[in-house]
Amino acid sequence: MKAVGARLPRYDGVAHVTGRTVFVDDVRVPGTLTVKALRSPVHHAGISVDTSPAEQMKGVHAVVTHADVPLNVYGHLSGLGIPGDEPLLAEDDVRYKGQPIAIVAAEDEDTANEAVAAIKLDLDERPALFDLRKAFDPDAPKIHHWGNWYPHFENEMDRRQIRKGDIAWAFDHADVIVEGVYRPAAIEHVPLETQVCQVVPEPSGRLTIYSCTQALYFSMGVVAAHLQVPLNKLKLVGGTVGGGFGGKVDTATETMCSLAALKSGRPVKWRWTREEEFLCSSTRAPWHMEIADAVTKDGWILGRKMLTLHDAGAYARFSPYGLTKHSFHHTGAYTIPNLEFDGYVVFTNRVPTTAMRGFGVTSVSFATETHMSRIANVLGLDPIEIRLKNANRIGDTSPNGIVYSDPSTVATIQTIAEAIGHELPAAYRTTTSAKREGEWLPEHLVAQLGNPEDH
Amino acid sequence: MNLTVNGLAREVESGPLTPLLRVLRDELGVHSPKVGCEQGGCGACTVVVDGAPRRSCLLPVGGLEGAEISTVEGLGTPDDLGVVQQAFTHHYAAQCGFCTSGMMMAAQAYVDGGGTDDREAIQEALAGHVCRCTGYVKIVDAVAAVARGDSFDLTVTAASAGMTSGGDLQ
Repeated sequence: MKAVGARLPRYDGVAHVTGRTVFVDDVRVPGTLTVKALRSPVHHAGISVDTSPAEQMKGVHAVVTHADVPLNVYGHLSGLGIPGDEPLLAEDDVRYKGQPIAIVAAEDEDTANEAVAAIKLDLDERPALFDLRKAFDPDAPKIHHWGNWYPHFENEMDRRQIRKGDIAWAFDHADVIVEGVYRPAAIEHVPLETQVCQVVPEPSGRLTIYSCTQALYFSMGVVAAHLQVPLNKLKLVGGTVGGGFGGKVDTATETMCSLAALKSGRPVKWRWTREEEFLCSSTRAPWHMEIADAVTKDGWILGRKMLTLHDAGAYARFSPYGLTKHSFHHTGAYTIPNLEFDGYVVFTNRVPTTAMRGFGVTSVSFATETHMSRIANVLGLDPIEIRLKNANRIGDTSPNGIVYSDPSTVATIQTIAEAIGHELPAAYRTTTSAKREGEWLPEHLVAQLGNPEDH
Repeated sequence: MNLTVNGLAREVESGPLTPLLRVLRDELGVHSPKVGCEQGGCGACTVVVDGAPRRSCLLPVGGLEGAEISTVEGLGTPDDLGVVQQAFTHHYAAQCGFCTSGMMMAAQAYVDGGGTDDREAIQEALAGHVCRCTGYVKIVDAVAAVARGDSFDLTVTAASAGMTSGGDLQ
């Protein structure tokens, strides 16, 4: 632990303060063409496209549509065997405003913008869905060919489901049921560096891809899949990210730039405008979470029923993974022995949503912590004491059956209490993360902790 | 037309309505000012023009005949850092580094103009400079340190911190 608390040099610190860090947009390759995209101007529509006016323009070197993509429909979870759902470039349908339909590579920015404007786009606009709670209504707009929610969890279940213990027993034995609904909104990451990519076709036949991705090898796999080429045809250069925060995990630009470079035979660069970044880049998801807890008068949580709706936007991307993490954390840092969790990844006509600083977990932490305080208010108990009571201890099990070997919840809460000057009774000040016994081991936990392997 | 950039006389061929940011980056090869929004909203493109911090993305080059432009490239070199560069290093005020050039040029203009270590005054001077990584505290710390006249020890290395190499965190 030599690094903790030590003053260490940043390996890139001097480069940053001397302006010598080379971000993707600082890479300069002679002969580079400028890429611009035709994006859907509406939230939901059938489309037909005629790119020939753009192709004939002077200074336009490539117009790329879905017809140019060897494997157009692919999914960010395809590597796990899950079917793909998102076209790289839209074919017959657009499902969110800003969805890319075609890209143009031209001599300069003005020509590229003029070429995009020259493409003929016919729209058959359809009703759009933005409120994920309405996705299940019989008359809701139909968004996705999979239906309005993701159908490919394990065993082809249409939801992420957790069942633990005996939820009916918990609700039968509760003194009070405490309910709450929590709905955090979408958040745009707003990195100072917008999405940007430079691709150089090499004489060897390889592509050199300068990428601002947060996930270099993942992006390499996505590009190779769409292009249907082996990985050794791609050289990715990355690691210098002008702010990401999760928003540069999805592969946004690399594949389309690669296709434009191959089709034009020229180096290309695509730097999104700030407007594109706000309108078209992925965001943190909106969530809808309903919690009902079976609690005793003295503050033990016997059981939790929870329904989560996770807004994926128009396509799945990593959302099923985010919801899975969410489900594993849906008791927060606390032990609740009886659980009934159902979570759905819901499709809407929003931009696809993605990771942001604690993918799937930030939302549920907000909900569970707010709910802990709500329980304390309803029962008239101390909000710190109720947390310490239910806090994870050695031998407790998580919603997905992991046995905690070294949880830090108790010490963390005690430190917070001390820092804010919150007086605690001696028993709460001195309790530790040690395996439950005595007053920290109520009857309802005894059976569960007897044999954690059963879950 | 002619500009002086970091003390060097430079001839510019771009048209008069070309933003200074594009002239610096695309014609003159000065890359420290960054393209963040091109709407004057983020501050990443800030350079010092005749002593004043300006958003180079909104500044047509045609009005700048004979102007003196300063960018981060002119503040110092890795072996001979300027005092603002030292302060940003010492206080870890650069995280991803993308807003850093604009922040440092605004800071340089602030201290050159006699700015003090008053945190509210520093925040006012840096208003409109967006950073999404640091939460601003370390940046204000760094500027205040320069304004106070602090000296900075930049000799810390992985070895002096007791690590056998930069990557050995055992």
